Amino acid sequence: MASTRDIRRRIKSVKNTRQITKAMELVAASKMKKAQSVALAGRPYAQLMADMLAALAPRVSEAQHPLLVQREVKVRGILLVTTDKGLCGPLNANLFKLVTEIKTPAKYVAIGRKGTQFLARTKRDVLADFTVSDRVGFNEVKAPVEFMVKLFLEGTIDTVEVIYPRFKNTLIQEALVRPVLPLTTVKDFVSHLRADYGGVQFKDDRDMLFEPDADAVLAALLPFYVNRYIYQLVVSAKASEQSARMVAMKTAKDNATKLLGDLTLEYNKARQAGITQEILEIAAASFSSS
Amino acid sequence: MPLTLEIVTPEAKVYSDTIDSVVIPTVEGEIGILPGHIPLLTQVAFGELRVTKGGTTHFLAVSGGFAQVDDLNVRVLAEHAITEEKIDENAVEAAMKRAEQELKASKDMDPQQYEHLQSMVRYSGVQLAVKRRKR
Repeated sequence: MASTRDIRRRIKSVKNTRQITKAMELVAASKMKKAQSVALAGRPYAQLMADMLAALAPRVSEAQHPLLVQREVKVRGILLVTTDKGLCGPLNANLFKLVTEIKTPAKYVAIGRKGTQFLARTKRDVLADFTVSDRVGFNEVKAPVEFMVKLFLEGTIDTVEVIYPRFKNTLIQEALVRPVLPLTTVKDFVSHLRADYGGVQFKDDRDMLFEPDADAVLAALLPFYVNRYIYQLVVSAKASEQSARMVAMKTAKDNATKLLGDLTLEYNKARQAGITQEILEIAAASFSSS
Repeated sequence: MPLTLEIVTPEAKVYSDTIDSVVIPTVEGEIGILPGHIPLLTQVAFGELRVTKGGTTHFLAVSGGFAQVDDLNVRVLAEHAITEEKIDENAVEAAMKRAEQELKASKDMDPQQYEHLQSMVRYSGVQLAVKRRKR
């Protein structure tokens, strides 16, 4: 049996760990609330945008906007959205699994330090890496998105896909590959969005007026849309990160508490054994002297 | 037949009410919407948006975006929007000055940063114009 001093030392260190994980859990919980509310606040906006796109879609001929053109896919463009810090359970590992499944040639852009490190370690073709803060602003996401859209239009990459942890609820985040560009057909894209946000169907089927004209509105709406859409994905990834971290830290804290109980019991046993031993020795000594 | 007007920005739903009419600034000039308007999708420009309800007119400052009209619904999708009462004149002025100074200070700025600052200056200008129109 370990000596009481060793056990005491372990108890102390486990207590420290528990304190830290508890603090991290609380921090993650408050950040999670913020991130979730941001993700929810963006919803009516995304919904309305989907509606507008839906209204526009049947009235413009497809494949005349460069973002709509479907090309032969030679090189995929992947935007990998990960966290900057670890300690968030299997969140990043699940994303990396999706990346390792990609066997066709692809170029990568990373958001988040963990993703950058992973891509560098696995020697994949990284075009750029970005980091965004916890309270992610629209302008922070704009830079990587516009960078990728530019490459897409130049023909360096033939698709833009986002790998990110989708926020389902606090306990479940699923790693997903979400194709963004080309917006093969606007209709597909819109129905896809509607599934995500549950927007209202556009009922009015009278002729619609466009100002200045349909193509101009489409040309303005699409790039704007791509920016917004990816922003929404990143926001969702942030909410996932904080939730995953909170859950991981809660598990760690619970484990520490359990371990602490076991160690305390062991410590008490060891202490009692020591006392019994001493009494025996004293008794034996008094017997032999009398 | 009242119109319903919704103004949505990425941060929140800024305005949602039934109204009598609305005047929206678009890239091709102002456009007035009354109930029963033909379906319309248009690009919204920086400017003031006038809402008339029960004889009184409210003013809002909006930055660029899109507006969709169908029969009895008007929905505006804007990057920023703020009602007149909420505009803090001093804060806006200070923000505008800061942005302008930054614009002047750096010659070879990142074009995106430049664009962002410029739109901030324009939005600030619009907010001030809306706030000061009564004087």
